[in-house]
Amino acid sequence: MSNITLTEDEKDVLQELMNVAYGNATAIVADMLDAFASLSIPNIKIMQTAELLNELHDLKGDSYFFSTQAFAGEFSGESAFFIDNESAQNLALHLELETDEDLQDAILELTNVLTSSLTTRLAKEMNTEVKFSLPSISKIPLNEMDQNDSFKEYSQVIVIDTQLNFEDQKINGEIFILTKDGSIEWLKNQLNNILEAMM
Amino acid sequence: MKYLVTDDSKLARLSIVKSLKAHVGDAEIFQAENGEVAVALVKEHKPDVVFLDLTMPVLDGYGALPLIKECNQKIKVIVVSADIQEQAKTKVMALGAEMHIQKPINADKMQEILELI
Ligand SMILES: [Mg+2]
Repeated sequence: MSNITLTEDEKDVLQELMNVAYGNATAIVADMLDAFASLSIPNIKIMQTAELLNELHDLKGDSYFFSTQAFAGEFSGESAFFIDNESAQNLALHLELETDEDLQDAILELTNVLTSSLTTRLAKEMNTEVKFSLPSISKIPLNEMDQNDSFKEYSQVIVIDTQLNFEDQKINGEIFILTKDGSIEWLKNQLNNILEAMM
Repeated sequence: MKYLVTDDSKLARLSIVKSLKAHVGDAEIFQAENGEVAVALVKEHKPDVVFLDLTMPVLDGYGALPLIKECNQKIKVIVVSADIQEQAKTKVMALGAEMHIQKPINADKMQEILELI
């Protein structure tokens, strides 16, 4: 199994690009929800899939809505959005949704807007473009997460983890961007080019 | 003129410094990686203009801004942030920022900023 690492500089660049992309995505979602989100510093790690799954187990709450959206291009992978039950109920309340079906629909749309604007902007900052597939949603207990197919195809992943936090509405979510294989090499190369251009 | 560039990201600092140097040549430019260091450098070097990021560890831009203005009301603080929500802008303007600019900054944007201040 390959074992790629990111240097401090590469991490710094990726974190900053993510910060810009995330700021942009959050503004769009905040507008959509008519609420103000506080931004946090993105957390970047290269992990083995098993480690990621362990980490997900440690998240509080036992049940999450979990939606994913794949993207493809020079930079390819998958973005995943987690929102716990309580936050999902608060979202329903905030949007005055009455049925579970409407709630699922709202979460899907939120994921779609959030992850596609996030990934589009991140790709743009890296001078490339990505294509998206439709997002899909599941509501699963976290201890069954490792049975999720979308994680199985990744052995080593770059995990970019950031919180979506609407304090007043008590809506919290977590976004992961997972990339793998050739994309990790491509990404490292691109991050170094970007930094060198600033020197 | 003296400038202070504050951002936790080295990339963001370098990009501001680079576009700043393109316009102000060999002016003195200091750098800080968080709000706490920025406040210390403001006291030490008395810059005229401070570029300030919002999302930073130790002390963020919202916390640093009033402390910087407290040192000297005349310091011009340019908030440079990825947070482009209207509420973020309103908040920093109320705290005394000169302007709120969306990241990243390039040479053209820098020229506009320098013309306005
Ligand atoms: Mg920052």
